[in-house]
Amino acid sequence: MSTQTTATGRDPGATGQPPGRSRRRTRHAGALTVLVVPFFVLFTLFYLVPIGYAVFRSFRTVEREGTFGPATEVFGGLTQYEQVFASEAFWASLGRVLLFGVVQVPVMLGLALVLALLIDSPLVRGKRFYRLAFFAPYAVPGVIAAIMWGFLYSPSLSPFTAVTSSVPLLGGGLVLWAIANVVTWVYAGYNMLIIYSALQAIPGEIYEAARIDGAGQLRIAWSVKIPLVVPALVLTGVFSIIGTLQLLTEPQVFRSFTTSVSSTFTPNLVVYTTSTVPNFNLAAAFSVVLALLTFVLSFVFLRLTQRKAFQ
Amino acid sequence: MNRHTLARSGAAAVAGTLLLAACSGGTDDGGSDGAADASACEPSDGPVELTYTGWVPGMEDAIALWNEANPDIQVTYNTGPAGNAGTYQDFFNQLEADQAPDLGQIEYDTLPNFRVQDGLVNIADCAGVMDAGEQFVDWTWQQVTFGEEGSVYAIPQDTGPMAMFYRADLFEEAGIEVPTTWDEYAEAAQAIRDEGAYITHFPRTDVNWFAGLVWQAEGRWFENDGEAWTVDLTGPQSTQVADYWQGLIDDGLVKDTAGFSDEWNNELNTGELWTWVSAVWGSNSISSGAPDTAGDWAVAPMPQWEPGANAAGNWGGSSVAVLQGSEHPYEAAQFALWLNTSEESLTALNQGGGLYPATTAGLELPALKEGLEFYGDQAIFDVFADAAAATDPSFTWGPTMAQTYNDVADGFGAALSGQGTLLDALQAGQEATISTLESQSIPVAE
Repeated sequence: MSTQTTATGRDPGATGQPPGRSRRRTRHAGALTVLVVPFFVLFTLFYLVPIGYAVFRSFRTVEREGTFGPATEVFGGLTQYEQVFASEAFWASLGRVLLFGVVQVPVMLGLALVLALLIDSPLVRGKRFYRLAFFAPYAVPGVIAAIMWGFLYSPSLSPFTAVTSSVPLLGGGLVLWAIANVVTWVYAGYNMLIIYSALQAIPGEIYEAARIDGAGQLRIAWSVKIPLVVPALVLTGVFSIIGTLQLLTEPQVFRSFTTSVSSTFTPNLVVYTTSTVPNFNLAAAFSVVLALLTFVLSFVFLRLTQRKAFQ
Repeated sequence: MNRHTLARSGAAAVAGTLLLAACSGGTDDGGSDGAADASACEPSDGPVELTYTGWVPGMEDAIALWNEANPDIQVTYNTGPAGNAGTYQDFFNQLEADQAPDLGQIEYDTLPNFRVQDGLVNIADCAGVMDAGEQFVDWTWQQVTFGEEGSVYAIPQDTGPMAMFYRADLFEEAGIEVPTTWDEYAEAAQAIRDEGAYITHFPRTDVNWFAGLVWQAEGRWFENDGEAWTVDLTGPQSTQVADYWQGLIDDGLVKDTAGFSDEWNNELNTGELWTWVSAVWGSNSISSGAPDTAGDWAVAPMPQWEPGANAAGNWGGSSVAVLQGSEHPYEAAQFALWLNTSEESLTALNQGGGLYPATTAGLELPALKEGLEFYGDQAIFDVFADAAAATDPSFTWGPTMAQTYNDVADGFGAALSGQGTLLDALQAGQEATISTLESQSIPVAE
């Protein structure tokens, strides 16, 4: 859209002839189609169609006769959704990840903000090194990170057995926070980078003005930098909420290290477990409900924060 | 695989409900996709290429023998993760997308699950299949035919008769008698705990192991009378087994390590675990996981509930099934028969994968008569041969075992963390299984 307006906006000065303009516009329209169509084809094939298919499946149900009778799929209305709302395991898992998010997301974003402010500070040396070092965990694939931390936590394989054999890090009470630590380790650097680039976009004159007013580095960070990166914090906040609701990799990997992570530990594990039954229709209904809840939560979060963030 | 499903559903989304119904029906009536049903098991014209997915180590060697002798029926093997660890999920997805391999490895406990999802081809009418029945150990043939006339849904491959692996050296050093009954086993557990070690681990994820113990106690989890399923995870025998292990857990006499984990290997290797009541294939798990203990292990029959009895359970064992959508069920069945009955193949599979044959003749293989160095030169397979003969043939598996295992395993995990008991876990598994059956319109008897 924006490409089109700027392109045609420049044209009148160059040609000035109405017929030429219209011809050029069609030519642009052709180029535009070429540029945009691949995106929409891929977007439709790999995003819209799967979603549509999941929604479609969630309204289907299976009928059969006898113990091994052939199955026929029929329209089932809200049958699957009734089961979703009756599933204690699903809602318990949702409660679990919400608790997780309420604690982990602020801690991680707080850490990311502090790290970003530190490497943005003119007083710190070796910024490039620290920026890379903090970001490096994000380059480790999630599964590998989870396996690595699983070994670190495990009572008899850990290099820190003195700690892990006395504190049950993988026990029922702590395993959620053990997972939170892995997620924080992986994503703090990534969020730091987003906040850091927001800091880079702040014009130098603002700092100059602050210094003339007598503000030190701490005061600048608190009163100038943080308020100006709130939009970036909101963005990372939304990403983190979505990521929290979709937790799968870390708990799934931890299932091989501990007895405390059940097959319905997080909502996505519920979906996965249901699809192994295999009950694809019910799994689809779980996914649809989870997607809607994610949408609602992100939207509520944006509405609550946007008032303050973008005044 | 995805493109196929996507294209189908994409077209369907545009064309409306009618097409949708036809489309989703595509996976259910495999016949329309060229898959032959039992009555049409005829040889194909010309050379045939078959695909086969399983997870037996060394399977390639046996297949190479076949491919050399049968230039017109070439088999390509794909290795997947163990069934419940991923291959079954792959099969279910592939069946959904009409992309399943011609042949798949499926454990006996999961055959009903695949049959209920219409994933198996009945190969009873393929030449030689019905006649092969008498070659197999009774209970395995019962499993693949579901006890029905005119039904053969897979060819048995191997079995997992159970016995007790134990550290002969440690028992002798500590002067503890090797237990022959479960009562003695509990006493030994206490004595071993006093030595600072554990008699065994309680594997919360290996619910099929627990089922093997229930099998030994002559318990039954499922019955199928053709009209409806009966689900009974909490019968008297199951309760007895659950209470027994709950007692060991409560007294802190068993370790809560997850089976087959690195941690578990480590505990076996360092002598922290002294026994493992396991299946015949467990001999490989120990020798590969605990290499430092070579020569220290021995095998005795499973502890008994009644002194002097010789009941045994079974844990695992696989069959080879022709999956829906295969265009060459005849050739696939011929290959599966050769793979699981011929001496050359069974020998290769035993050497490469430690498979314990499901044929009665296979139990007499020379390789199964030799002493094993890792087990102090004991001819351990003799113990398992006795166990195989003592395994009750009528144990039946349910049609959603993956789900039953998951739900019971969750409860076992909770019980190990001190929340609830093993019996609670079975009760929860019972309820979850019934509701899963009902959600799939599979009839359940009250």
